[in-house]
This record gives sequence, structure tokens and C-alpha cells, in this order.
Amino acid sequence: MLLYNVRLAWKSVQRYPVLSALILLGIALGVGVSTTFITAYHVLARDPVPGKSDSLYYVRMDSWGRGDSPFRQEPPPLITWRDALELLKSRIPVRSTATFSSRATIFPADGVRPFRDSVRLVTTDFFPMFAVPFRYGGPWSREADARPESVAVISSALNDRLFGGANSVGRAIRLEGHDLRVAGVLGPWRPRVRAFGLIGNPLRAPEPVFIPLRLAGPMTFQPAEMEMNWRTPQPGEEALPYASRLMLNESLFLGFWAELPDAGKVREYQSYIDAYVSEQKKLGRFPNPPKNWVTSLLDLMEEQRVVPPQTKALAAISLLFLVVSALNLIGLFLGKFLARASNVGVRRALGASRWTIFVQHLVECELMGLAGGFLGVLLSVAGLAILNRVYGDGPDGVAFFQLDVPMVFAAVALSLLAGTIAGLYPAWRICAVPPARHLKSQ
Amino acid sequence: MPMLKMQNVSKIYRTGLVETRALRDFSMEVEAGEFVTITGPSGSGKTTFLNVSGLLDAFEEGIYTLDGLDVSRLSDREMSRVRNEKIGFIFQGFNLLPDLDVFDNIDVPLRYRRLPAKERKERIEKAVGMVGLSSRLRHLPAQLSGGQQQRVAIARVLAGDPKLILADEPTGNLDSAMAREIMEILEQVNEAGTTIVMVTHNPEHAARAHRQLHIADGRLVDFERIAPFPLNRPETRQETVHRQAAG
Repeated sequence: MLLYNVRLAWKSVQRYPVLSALILLGIALGVGVSTTFITAYHVLARDPVPGKSDSLYYVRMDSWGRGDSPFRQEPPPLITWRDALELLKSRIPVRSTATFSSRATIFPADGVRPFRDSVRLVTTDFFPMFAVPFRYGGPWSREADARPESVAVISSALNDRLFGGANSVGRAIRLEGHDLRVAGVLGPWRPRVRAFGLIGNPLRAPEPVFIPLRLAGPMTFQPAEMEMNWRTPQPGEEALPYASRLMLNESLFLGFWAELPDAGKVREYQSYIDAYVSEQKKLGRFPNPPKNWVTSLLDLMEEQRVVPPQTKALAAISLLFLVVSALNLIGLFLGKFLARASNVGVRRALGASRWTIFVQHLVECELMGLAGGFLGVLLSVAGLAILNRVYGDGPDGVAFFQLDVPMVFAAVALSLLAGTIAGLYPAWRICAVPPARHLKSQ
Repeated sequence: MPMLKMQNVSKIYRTGLVETRALRDFSMEVEAGEFVTITGPSGSGKTTFLNVSGLLDAFEEGIYTLDGLDVSRLSDREMSRVRNEKIGFIFQGFNLLPDLDVFDNIDVPLRYRRLPAKERKERIEKAVGMVGLSSRLRHLPAQLSGGQQQRVAIARVLAGDPKLILADEPTGNLDSAMAREIMEILEQVNEAGTTIVMVTHNPEHAARAHRQLHIADGRLVDFERIAPFPLNRPETRQETVHRQAAG
């Protein structure tokens, strides 16, 4: 019967082509606009590290000095070099990493002009923690972290640029006058939200070069994204080597992540942090009341408002737009259905029940909804292309906002919803009139 | 057992404060296999009677039994099933669905009966064969003459094999030659055992039935038995008409 109703719907479209086209356009606009903005929301709000987000925790503690601290309710968003190195020693987390972003000059071989780009300093745990995909090789070893060794992991785009896309593992790249051996080349990777960089600009593309954190000292990498400091350097301190200064100063520029598999480990780690801060207090640091926070990734996303409130509002408004579009189509469907009321009378006389007539007309509405939804998805692709122009593509040429499978299903659901809203009342009206009245108009 | 039995049935149309009693204490019986014609002036209640008989319209009072089934309290779904399986309608305006070709038009009630495709096809081919339209299966109604359209409507009824045919001036839009053809088909169908109740303004057609009823002001006012019934009469009604015409 469904196929029969589909056939009747097609005949109805053929009979009223202009009216059908108007309905189709109305639904396409509604679905297109709502799918575009819901996709934007979905891309920003979805789990940035599926399967791992529940076990990733961000560590903060208040090492700010006595005086007019700007951090009254919450701790500073970053930690110091010396605290990061201490926390990295803990074996409570399955993995942990401290990270910051810097800038460096990269010298391509063959005399090609050098260029400056971003570099992220991490420990090797960073890669499995944030599910970073590799095309060639892999992360460096823990020993390479400890020494530290001159190694690097590079993005596939940089690998294309420097090595023509070949497997460059074991080859060297020149960074700020140092030769670094390539340990791994990433696969195409453009997380829409940089889970490891929620403080600052979480929507930026990942850096093209990753190097061991402890190379910061010898290679004098300074933070490029965010740095806060409250301490005035002592006389003569400026003359010390950079690595020594890092251990002395109270500059906050590192994000710290720990992978904690269960609630017990989280509690244990919280106690460890509390104990560490108490110990530091005895050494004269951490003068303010303790604010030691171990926050889950998803909670941090919420706290940092990674999804801008405007995006939520736009998604809600676009849904409203769809509903209004669908409501406006009620009149068109009603006109279309009532124009052939006499045919309905004949069908009722021949044995169609009210329900049969209702289903026949609702199927037509839903098919119009789906057809309009298909056009709407195409409109949405165009809309997302415009949004991508604003946000820009990732380094691997991957568009920032893309329709994924769940959003295509959502678009289908929205189309059916539009068809239902627009068609429910007209279908009920046409089936509710007594058949004899329809037959009189024949 | 009567095919159709109405006892004190009343039908009232309400428009604002105005009430029109289209049927008043209407009582009648039609035996199974009978051919009954109904005549009466315009607005007398003939079509209302057919609509109520065909379960196309509700009635306010009285009892209506169709083929032994009290239809007064049936749900919409049950009434639709009765319409589909027991009643066939033939209208003055043919009432074919303009978007569907002959085959699909005849197919409509069979689909609602959820018959398998093979059986539907067999029934349709047999029915169009009976009305002589086998070569027009893929024609749209607009491509057929009035007489052909009415024959398609009759084929649609025949394919459903109903017990009762309700015909509302089936020859009203046809010329006399075509009307005669349609009447002959209806007579053949009736002779095969199907009960027919036909509203007509044509006295000649009315006279060809077993019984002629007259309605005025929503009441049955008169009836005339034209031919003997049941069917074990000495000569067929058609033969009687021909004999009378010849005499």
C-alpha cells in the first residue's frame, strides 16, 4: 500500500506542478537553514575525542603570588614549567602531558625559502591521549622525552611540503638552527575543537610540528599563545640560561592533561595534587587559599564556552524557522488537497476508510518533505561552504564544517518533521469530511 | 432475508438554524436479487436515500440492516469495509479518477480490499471484457466517451463482485442509445443475482425494474410491482418489456 500511496503522491505532484514546486522550495529553505546551523552547533559541541573524553582531565592550581590576584573564584588556567615537570613524575595517571604552543622558523632543504610556523611542545603521551592519527612512524619514545632527543612529529601537510609526501621517518627537518629527526608523520587530522587547546582558541587548526616538551629549554622556545606572570625577576636572573630561568620563574603558560580511567583514580590524583600544593606551600609558594581543580574535558568545554552561546541560539532560531516554514505550507497543502476533494469522495465510496485517506495524504506530505529535505541538504552544503570561508579550512584541506552521517540523518528527520507539521492538519481535514459531501462536488 | 431493510430512518441536514428533513420515517425492504428503481422529483430525497443506503452519509434515527447486518453502529473502518465488499456505486457523473487509466480506476476498490496483484489483474481483465473495453485498459478517462466511461464505472463495480449495486441516474448523462446499452448491462448483472437499486428520472428505465418506488418529501409514497419476483417468473423482465413494446 505504501508503494501505491507513493505512486499517487507522484501523480499529485504531476497534476499540480507549480504548487508542488512552491511547497518543495518552502521545505528546502527550512531544512537547509536549520541543517546548516544545527551542523555548526553539532560540529562544535560533539565529543572532540570520542571514547577518551571521559578519562581526560585538565589540571589547574593557584600558584599566583600574594597580592591583587585576578583569580578569586577559580585558579589560573595554566601552570608553571616547574609544576608541570613535577606533575609529570606522577604515576597515578595512565598518561599525562604538559603542552604549550610556540613559533619557530623552519628551514626546508634545497635552499627553499625558510618560513615561520607554529610548534607544539608535548610529551609522547600526548599522541595516544588525544587519539592523534599517524600516517608514517609514530610518537617518539619516553626516553626521547626524558633526555630530551631532537625528534619531531610533523603534519601530513608539512610532510607534503618538505618531503613531497614521501615517508620521511628518520629524515631531518631543520628548526631554529637545530636538526630534528622525524619520528612520525600524522595522517589527515583536523579536530574541529582542539581538546588539548581549550584555553585560548580551541577552534584553531593543530600545529604542523610537535616536539618533546623538554626541548623548550635548549631550543629556547617561548610560549606564543598565552602567558601570565606575576613575579618580578631578581637582579641577574635575566643573564641565566633560558632553561634555568624556566625553573625559577613563575610564568604560567602550560596546559596540563592527565588520563584517569576511573573515579577512584580521579580522587587519588586530586589528593596527590592537594598534597603537592601543601608541600609547595611549605616552600613558600602557593600563598593563596588552595584552588586545585581536576576538571574533565567535557566539563572544561562547557566552562570555557567552546560552543558560543550565539551558535546555540542560531540553531534554536533555525529550528523555529523550519517550523514557521512548515506552518506556512499548511495552506498550500490544504488548497491542494481540497482541490481534489471529489476524488477523495470517490475513494471513500469505493471502500477507503478515513485512516486510509489520511495515510495516503500524509505519505504525500512526507514525500514532499523528503524531496524538499534533499534540496535542503544541498542548500545546507552551500551554507556550510560559506561558514567554512569564515572559519577557514584545516591545514590538510579538510573543511571545518562538514555534514557527517548523523547530520544527514538529522536532516532526514527534520524533513519528515516539516512534512508532518505541514501535512497533518490538511490530511486530517480531507479525511474528516463525510464522503457524500465530496461526491456532490464531483 | 432482505438485502436492504430500513425501518423509520430519518436523515436531517442542518445548516445553521435551518433543518431540512431529507428522509422522514423512511421504511422499505429490497429483496436479494431484486431490481428496484426509485423515482421522484428533485429534492425529494432520492440521492439522500442512496447515500444513506451506501453508508456514505449517516442518519439520525431508525434501523438500517444491510445483508442481515445492522449498520447503525458500525465504525468508519467497518463501514468502509462493507462499502468495499458489499456495495458497488454507479454515478450519473461516472466518478472515475481522472489521473488513473482504466486499469487503475478499476483497481482502486480491489486494492482497498488488499487482494493479491494476480487476482486483481484477473478480476479487472474479466470485468473490462464484460463491458467490452478490453482494448482501452491504458486509456485515461478523458480519452473515453461518456458511455465508455460509464462502462468503466460498471466494470469497477463488477470487478468487486458486490451483492448490492446502488446506481444514481447512471444513464442521466448519456444519449438514448448509450443509455440502452448501460441498462442492458445492468439487467444482465441483475439476472446474475446482484441486487440493484437505481434512482432514475427516466420512466422507461424505471419501468424495466421488478419494482418501482416513488419518493416525495423524504417519504416512500407509492410503489408498483412491474414484474413478478423472485426470479422463477415465467418470462424475464427484459422479455416482458420487449413484449410490451412490441404489443
